[in-house]
Amino acid sequence: MRKKNSIMGMAFFAPALILLTLFLFLPMLLTFGFSFTDYFALNPELTHFVGLKNYLDCFKDELFVKSFLNTVKFVIIIVPCQCGGAMLMAIAINHAAHCKKYFKVAFFVPVVMSLAVVSTLWMQIYSPEGILNTLLANFGIDAQPFIHSAKQALPSVAIMSVWQGMGYQMLILLGGLQNINPALYEAAEMDHATNWQKFKDITLPEMKPLCVLIFITVTIGAFRMLVQPMVMTGGGPDHSTYTIVYDIYQTGTVNWEMGLASTMAIIFTIFVVVLTIIQNILTKDKEDK
Amino acid sequence: MLTKKQKRINWVLVIFLLVLSIFFLFPVIWMLANSFKPDAAITADMNSVAAFIPPMPQGNFFENYVTIIKDTSFLRYMGNTLFYAAVMIVLGIVVNGLAGYALAKIPFPFSDKWLLIILMLQIVPTETVITIHFLIIAKAGLLNTVLGYVLPMIVNPFNIYLFRQVFVSLPDDVYEAAQLDFCGPVKYFFTMVLPMSKTVVATVGVFTFLNVWNDYLWPALVFTSGDLLTAQIGLNAITSNENTTMGQTLAVITMITIPVIIIYSLFSKQIVEGVTSTGSKEG
Repeated sequence: MRKKNSIMGMAFFAPALILLTLFLFLPMLLTFGFSFTDYFALNPELTHFVGLKNYLDCFKDELFVKSFLNTVKFVIIIVPCQCGGAMLMAIAINHAAHCKKYFKVAFFVPVVMSLAVVSTLWMQIYSPEGILNTLLANFGIDAQPFIHSAKQALPSVAIMSVWQGMGYQMLILLGGLQNINPALYEAAEMDHATNWQKFKDITLPEMKPLCVLIFITVTIGAFRMLVQPMVMTGGGPDHSTYTIVYDIYQTGTVNWEMGLASTMAIIFTIFVVVLTIIQNILTKDKEDK
Repeated sequence: MLTKKQKRINWVLVIFLLVLSIFFLFPVIWMLANSFKPDAAITADMNSVAAFIPPMPQGNFFENYVTIIKDTSFLRYMGNTLFYAAVMIVLGIVVNGLAGYALAKIPFPFSDKWLLIILMLQIVPTETVITIHFLIIAKAGLLNTVLGYVLPMIVNPFNIYLFRQVFVSLPDDVYEAAQLDFCGPVKYFFTMVLPMSKTVVATVGVFTFLNVWNDYLWPALVFTSGDLLTAQIGLNAITSNENTTMGQTLAVITMITIPVIIIYSLFSKQIVEGVTSTGSKEG
């Protein structure tokens, strides 16, 4: 009976296992293996083991360094704007006594739209004679090039991404705020606590795990930036919106340099895994207390 | 119940949020309003409030939409994507659901280790393996095929884990009774386990649909041309064509968003629960 059961278990698990092996374990092994070779997919016979050369080359490769720095810039703009904005919005909506439902939906609308749609839409909005420049002209501001200049392209794309993603985090935070036990606030009221004290001593500690979660997921999301520059700027102008994932994709599937692309993918993965581990440590800490 | 001061703060807050929401939504309102206008009208209205107001409904009100439907394959691309989503939902629920059930209820050698591995696999971002997926699918000669598109995306460690967490709390005695009834485990899974877990099945289904509908990089790699494009890739092909007007572009992106809005309004409860529970579970 037991043996029959265990065969049944393996049979149930088998389809998933086969697909996991083919499309996760094998690709992970190959990525790791290729990262030490000069594997060129159009001419696989000429593959050599090159040791750590790719890793050293990556950091000497101007374009990779630039795409890395661009990605960091995206993270630096997006993370505080999106997390802070979502938090402020969640607190405001939580306190508002009217139109709660409307606000929830209104700020969630951009999340519903796909990245390709949002990018296409904002290309029109950012266009030199577009609606944004027309609106700005009413305030006496000169026409801005936005995504058409190397200087403004990255912040323009970043702000659009914040606009698109913020509603999602707002919803998570709002759920968290509503889950805080009202008895805590009532007790504080008995002690004549000020609003600031209530926020500092009840809201913030109660929300800490959610804030960590959001901080890390937004950081990882910004780190994975690809579709927006791909659709809007093609990584330009002058590679000013070229990101790590864009570089991995171009190197691997357009130039077929799988060896180098694998190295980049490994470096990228290390960052994501480290961030995830940090998140787990920070939130575990809270649970043990 | 509220004091006078609280009332005043509340109104300031509500008005502030209302104004903010209008600023927040201006791109979307502009998109909707102008998707019904010819380009000349879009440019003419740009500098007035009319930029945010749709034109009076007339005979050619839907002209941009009609042109897109008639002159491009966009409806076909939307249909393709719906089909891919349906295939992916069915296969995803069966494959990940079976695996989740095995991990939850039927002990097999190393099943506890597998659970740990599944948990850890969730960390790996798709970008790590996507170039290799492309290499495998290209070597297998599956580029520009439905199979090549679907195959690498069926298995999903996150969904396996989600199913496992729900199935683990199902009662055991029903399973034992089902075995006495000569109801085979496979039949039992489809006729009892899945129907008993409607919520998780719906959640996985809805999020699979949204993933397929919004996915960009993978379909862009697999489908290089032709009739098999997904809506998002087709969108890019259509809008980058010089003959497509601004109004038509706005009509395309409105059309592509409609199915998602339908899904969100039908399943808003599951989606909000899914979104907020990922928070509370991990947090």
